[in-house]
Amino acid sequence: MKFKFFRTFPIIVGLSILFGLAFSGLVVAPVFTSSIATASPGLVAYTPTEQHGRQIYLREGCVYCHSQQVRSVKADEPLSTSFGAAKAGDYYYDSPNALGTSRQGPDLSNEGRVWSKDYGDSAREYLIGHFKNPRAYNPQSIMPAYDYLSDSELSDLTDYMQALGAWKDHPPEETP
Amino acid sequence: MTTTPNTSITPADRIDWFQKITSPALEQKDKAMQVWLFSGVFWLTVMITIGVIEAVKLFYPEFLQGIPALAYGRLRAVHTNIGIFGFMSMGYLGAAFYMIPRLTRTPIFSETLGVLTAWGWNLNLLGGAIAIMLGFTKGKEYEELPFPFDMTIGLIEILIAGNLFSTVVLRRERQVYVSVWYVLLALIPFPIYYTLGNMRNFRGVEDAIINWFYSHNLFGIWLTALGLATLYYIVPKQANKPLVSHAISFLGFWTLAAFYPWNGGHHMIWGPVPNWVMAASVTASIAMFVPTFATMVNFGGTAFGTGDVIKRDVGYRFSLLAYASYVGTSLWGSGLAIMGLNAKYHFSSMTIAHVHLGFIGFGVAGLMAFIYYYLERGRKLQYSRSLAEWHFWLTAIGIVGYTVSMGVLGYLEGNAWFAGESVQSLLPLRYWYNVARAASGMLILVGQGLFLLNLWQTLTQPEALRSLALDELEVEERLAE
Repeated sequence: MKFKFFRTFPIIVGLSILFGLAFSGLVVAPVFTSSIATASPGLVAYTPTEQHGRQIYLREGCVYCHSQQVRSVKADEPLSTSFGAAKAGDYYYDSPNALGTSRQGPDLSNEGRVWSKDYGDSAREYLIGHFKNPRAYNPQSIMPAYDYLSDSELSDLTDYMQALGAWKDHPPEETP
Repeated sequence: MTTTPNTSITPADRIDWFQKITSPALEQKDKAMQVWLFSGVFWLTVMITIGVIEAVKLFYPEFLQGIPALAYGRLRAVHTNIGIFGFMSMGYLGAAFYMIPRLTRTPIFSETLGVLTAWGWNLNLLGGAIAIMLGFTKGKEYEELPFPFDMTIGLIEILIAGNLFSTVVLRRERQVYVSVWYVLLALIPFPIYYTLGNMRNFRGVEDAIINWFYSHNLFGIWLTALGLATLYYIVPKQANKPLVSHAISFLGFWTLAAFYPWNGGHHMIWGPVPNWVMAASVTASIAMFVPTFATMVNFGGTAFGTGDVIKRDVGYRFSLLAYASYVGTSLWGSGLAIMGLNAKYHFSSMTIAHVHLGFIGFGVAGLMAFIYYYLERGRKLQYSRSLAEWHFWLTAIGIVGYTVSMGVLGYLEGNAWFAGESVQSLLPLRYWYNVARAASGMLILVGQGLFLLNLWQTLTQPEALRSLALDELEVEERLAE
């Protein structure tokens, strides 16, 4: 039996080394990377309602259709010219992440600048109305209607939407 | 041979049969394997049904609207988790529970443990799926199952790994065939990346990198390894030829084990990750050409000149469909990691086409190949040839239809975005492609229905019940000794 074990032993050692290499490269090394471990200048932490809105965003699976990463490539040019490409520090307060891998719907990383709080009630009304019935605003939209969310849930989700990227418009006052 | 065959089957016999293959009471040969395998078939049907519902929602969003549990975003997570942990994990673990005792010439360490873990896995997954539908989710792709359902999977996997690994260690056959290597690759690292991915949330981009490290290992060295183990086992037997080269399978195995765990970062090429993560993942993804090529040459060479078997054996045809899909999806995946192509097509439907070619092409066809092989060669049962032919052609056309419709749509989307179009402006373009996708899924679902009918008729025909009775007799004699 000992002999038999030794025949599988090299396979197990080999696999452990190969897996361990990838583990240290992709899991351990990022912890020590400064661009990931520090927040972008001006980034603001989420308020409790925004954080709750974020949880609803994840619970309802918005992330499967909406990415939150603008890349510095030509396909993202309309987004990156107006808003700039995403940097690792922008996601400092995002836990869990919601970067997304698909664009069935538009990228939302700057939604708080598209429907800014500065526009007042009209922006909020648009966002809430659109959550409840997207096809009232765009008949061809395939977004699910989130009419089953409660008013407070819709309000928190809207807070989260309006927080996305909004910090880029309001740089904190420089402290000397 | 003292039993007299009964030729007429009553419903009571069928209930009796069902109880026999599901209860853990008797240490009967291949019992654990059957529970795993048929659970996989059950979840496969659920997965396809949910997939078709979702596909319909993508061109007719009012479909089943207003029921939170059936909202698109929740069903999406149920669809993927049942696909990964239900259909593919369980089905291919069934295949592993079949292959390992035969390749090691040793009975499974504990059939009872095998059956209990299978039922535990089933109940846990059912609970997890219901929890996601009720809105409990961790909210990250492929990590949705909430606590405690996620950790239970990790614990049960350790029991399965212990069961199969003990069988390998206690084996009577000294040679370790390549299928066993792949099963070991699947079983051993799983608890590490699974726990890491599901245990807690990390910060920002680090969380994303770990999310993809976990997810890609789940596809690469859990599902792919189990799938390839199965194909390496059945293809030479179906083709009735030895594998072309064990050296090439050795090369394919070790290069896959070396490169696949690095692939996770290719979901964030051009994204907000450090350059070296991108460089490592792109390199590893493109290096996946090596194991893909090795598998391609090995299976291709084995299958060369077996035209007569292709005509005769539906199971073998499914094997080749799985093989072609594996090669296609792997080359496509490596191609999509090339930075210029990734910039255009990463967020488009082309990624969806690629994943589905892997899942329904390689995953579904490979499992079907194994089940037909098991019925015909393992159990010596005669299944309906015409139903099997319908099943094959509906599945094959469905796979091609899905891949082409989503692949072409992804190509058009990527090019339109490259030309400066917005996501919203492509909605009219998508409509008919999404209809074609749902229709392809529907074909696969119909094929699956015919397969279930065929499977049921085959497993409850008199010979099947008789062979089960003989197995039982053998076990009783062994226990009496």
